[in-house]
Amino acid sequence: MGTSTLHHVRYAGMASCVPRTVLSNVQDCPPAMRSERERLVRNIGIHQRRMCFEWQCFSDLAFEATGVLLADLGWAREEVDAVIVVTQSPDYLIPATAIILQDRLGLPKTSIAFDVNLGCSGYTYGLQILGSLIASGAVKKGLLMVGDKSATVIDPLFSDAGTVTALEYVQDAPPMYFDMNSDGSGYKAIMLPSGGHREPYGVEHAMPKRDEYGILRWPSELILDGPAVLSFSTQQIPPAVRKLMEFSQIADTDIDYFIFHQANKLINETIRKKLGLPADKVPSTLAEFGNTSGASIPVTMTARLREALLGGRKRLLMSGFGIGLSWGSCIVDIEGAKFPEMVEL
Amino acid sequence: MPVSTVNTFVEKFLEAVDFQDPVAVTGDTPLASLPEWDSLAALGVIVMCDMEYGKTITGSDLKTCTTVADIYALLG
Repeated sequence: MGTSTLHHVRYAGMASCVPRTVLSNVQDCPPAMRSERERLVRNIGIHQRRMCFEWQCFSDLAFEATGVLLADLGWAREEVDAVIVVTQSPDYLIPATAIILQDRLGLPKTSIAFDVNLGCSGYTYGLQILGSLIASGAVKKGLLMVGDKSATVIDPLFSDAGTVTALEYVQDAPPMYFDMNSDGSGYKAIMLPSGGHREPYGVEHAMPKRDEYGILRWPSELILDGPAVLSFSTQQIPPAVRKLMEFSQIADTDIDYFIFHQANKLINETIRKKLGLPADKVPSTLAEFGNTSGASIPVTMTARLREALLGGRKRLLMSGFGIGLSWGSCIVDIEGAKFPEMVEL
Repeated sequence: MPVSTVNTFVEKFLEAVDFQDPVAVTGDTPLASLPEWDSLAALGVIVMCDMEYGKTITGSDLKTCTTVADIYALLG
């Protein structure tokens, strides 16, 4: 697909919801791990994370955010004709969470609703997919819900969040520019290997082993090849961002903020330095909210840019990258959109 | 290879791995002898080689290295 332009799509608003439980990466880790954890936190830049209660799902966060955003927008529920959910933590393996949310939110049966299985690149992918439906004229008002429930007490990276973004058809909306990419040769870099049809979940996946700290590790846990993800992110994202700016004929000086997926400090700082961007144009929420998967771009907008976005027209370059491997960037002009305060559940 | 350039690399290496407990390192130091040579240290070294030397090395490249100087040799 590469680069593309969408017309007639207005960014109408966005809301983020995080669980109210705050975990400290240093204080809440096993004492034997503390020294190693202090070093880790220095390097990944993640001090605190948010974690759902066991009984909460990602969809509960997205549901809450959607109620707040629809009220702020003043949209009637009957007006919404598309619900796209981008998550890797659905309520059930099947059916799709988006369809359950259509009913739970009281949205009309004439709406199109489906899930997209993507993680850290998911926000820009979701904007492209919903934006394309709107640009075609088939959908007039649509909701994009992005996020995951992936936090655990032990893992220092992942944090939970659910977000909703409202897009609508407006004839003279400023163009949105996109650059989308996939590279399945790297699919093993981030994966949950068991539970699908290639490797059905079996007894062997329920047999945990203790690591050197005595922590139980299950064979079914997420595999994350750190060096491979780092190399991919720092090699692919800077040229992709430059390519998008060249395609759109928009210089970096004409972009107010660059919002990258919040992966970890090593990756994000390397990308920022390679692009030669000043820190004040590249907001970060890693310290406070960790890596919230596909939700990290909207969470960063709510937590760091809300007042600026409410204050007048802003041009943002967003870039998401991760599992797949996949990466997508876009340039979006935002004016007069609704941005409710961060919702805590 | 010149000792001075290896020594400079060792300094950058120590900064990149950000060990919690200080340890003496030379080019000949076996990586396996460093208690904190772990995946985080590897990430730091990959970034350092990229940003300081403009050289892309991978996790697989690092696995072929026995000593600190072996990593330096990858930059050649």
